[in-house]
Amino acid sequence: MKHVPTLISYIVMTVLLFCIACSLILAVGSSVISSFSSFFNGVLGSWYGFSEVLVRATVLILAGLGVSIGFRTGFFNIGAEGQIYMGGAAAAAAGMLFPGLPGILLGPIACASALLAGGLWAMIPGFFKSRFGLSEVLMTIMFNYIAINIVGLLVRTVMKDPSYPLPMSPEIPQAMQLPYLMMPTRLHAGLIIALLSAAAVYLLMWRTVSGFTMRAVGLNPRGALCSGISCTRNILLASLLSGGLAGIAGYSEIAGIHYRLLEGFSPGFGYVAIIIALLGKNHPAGIVIAAIGIAGLQTGSMTMQRQAGVPASISWIIMGALVLLILARKAVMQMYAAQKAMGEQRS
Amino acid sequence: MSPAIELVNTLQTFLTASVRMAVPLVLAGLGETYSEKSGILNIGLEGIMLFGAFASFITAHLTNSIPLGLAAGMTAGCLIALLHAFMSITCRADQTVSGLSINFLVSGLTSYLFLMIFGKTTTLPVCPTVSEHAVPLLSKLPIIGPALFEQNGFVYFTMAAVLISWILFYRTEWGVILHAAGEHPQAADSAGLNVSAIRYGAAAVNGMLTGLAGSYLTLSLLGFFLENLTSGKGYIALAVVILGRRDPKGVLLAGLLIGAADALQFRIQASGSAIPSQVFIMFPYVITVAVLLFSIGRSSEPAALGKPFVRSRR
Repeated sequence: MKHVPTLISYIVMTVLLFCIACSLILAVGSSVISSFSSFFNGVLGSWYGFSEVLVRATVLILAGLGVSIGFRTGFFNIGAEGQIYMGGAAAAAAGMLFPGLPGILLGPIACASALLAGGLWAMIPGFFKSRFGLSEVLMTIMFNYIAINIVGLLVRTVMKDPSYPLPMSPEIPQAMQLPYLMMPTRLHAGLIIALLSAAAVYLLMWRTVSGFTMRAVGLNPRGALCSGISCTRNILLASLLSGGLAGIAGYSEIAGIHYRLLEGFSPGFGYVAIIIALLGKNHPAGIVIAAIGIAGLQTGSMTMQRQAGVPASISWIIMGALVLLILARKAVMQMYAAQKAMGEQRS
Repeated sequence: MSPAIELVNTLQTFLTASVRMAVPLVLAGLGETYSEKSGILNIGLEGIMLFGAFASFITAHLTNSIPLGLAAGMTAGCLIALLHAFMSITCRADQTVSGLSINFLVSGLTSYLFLMIFGKTTTLPVCPTVSEHAVPLLSKLPIIGPALFEQNGFVYFTMAAVLISWILFYRTEWGVILHAAGEHPQAADSAGLNVSAIRYGAAAVNGMLTGLAGSYLTLSLLGFFLENLTSGKGYIALAVVILGRRDPKGVLLAGLLIGAADALQFRIQASGSAIPSQVFIMFPYVITVAVLLFSIGRSSEPAALGKPFVRSRR
């Protein structure tokens, strides 16, 4: 029975998370049963509810894939949030610049400019990390704040809709809007882009030479360097792709949901993407599953806020606690294994 | 008023504002310096500061007592820092991942608790703030007098903390022990030092100082609490540590530099220019990036920074 301790550790983790959730719910004076029932009602109660989970998962899959490429190559990209904003801004700008183009051209142009904008925004920290060893964690976080304010500036100045008093861009051309997949719901073609990207990332990272060299740099930069693999070039490539995918996530939000560039159109998707990459173990399949799970957690907690009066920020507490528990579980399992090995040595 | 006097006055107000904006960065930067010198990288600074700010605010709001608020801020910061220390020292987890998840956790927890206690109120709940105490004679010095000697206790404490930390790091045995844990934990261990205990201690000091930086935000600068009110100050403090090269004097100067940028931004914004406010809000972050670029090639990272210490492994 090799797997019993692993199983027990996961059960303990689930129970602990459940206890945290219960105590938080009880603290605001709501009933645990009605809170949980509204949570599951929001996620699985109706097709519309579940479609909302998938809508949220779309942007999280794309951004999570981006973060994972960075992590695999040793580029700790915390800047997905800013790259989403830059990608969304570039997509909306493409729509404003070429309003007459047919959708078959405009769609790819908008998507490509989002990829480029997000990618270049991530490549600046990538350059300074690979060339000078600057902390990419700090750089990308600062770039998040800068990008959010750049978008705020754009929707107030050059990209502002003159016919509207609020700071937002004009509506993007209809040709550029992503088609709905299932009509009464907001589920849009961005989900297909996200799933195709997941397949593409898998093929790139595990079936091509550049994927291999990127992973080699991430696993052991010195070893890679000694085998003639350029760390600088691979980190630059990884940061470009990493930011590019986050940029496409921004494109998907603008072209699939909002149809305009808005201030604050990403309520922290880029930060959730980091958690998703960690939970999905930086593997595309894992990321798709983790994104749907976390999207469910967030959608459910919003229903819980409306129906049971439990603040939706509970989902951030659960996400943070989940990652800490996963880290702690790994340590406990290692100590357990070490102790068992010692015991076997003695006997 | 003659132009010369006017210039002196402007300079005085600007310097005073710079010092005020610098205090949280210097306090948190000093705390992180202790932690990094012992070998622990703490990205959770943002969360520690936010939790300190929240705990101070809520305690001062409910009890109307500033000393209790300060104590609560330091205790709260210490608790979060010890959680990070537990993850990085005992669990040997990835310190960046642990720090980030602590930030997510605290950001959720503070907004949750704030909504829980106050509900959706339209009136902003407030807390008492610390008052200024002028140092006799010294505060009458031209230009630097008001900036350095007509401030509240936080500013005096920060100056004292910089001096004490410098003495501690470079003139006492404790400093040698702290550096040993971060530079060569194996050697420190062979010399009979308890590396884990040193790192836990450094983390606790970091928690208290960074928690105090959070208290400063609510008990001195603002007098109220908002969701995520630290808005990246914890991360900026990490950049201050890098630019200050983990030296108390350097941290003080780097903190003052970014504090001055922040004060300048507020000053131009308040003078009612037509430029959208986003440009000014962005300014401190841009300066921080510039500051990071200036630190290129001058890094002095402790050799074992971010690496868990495993006693039996070489």
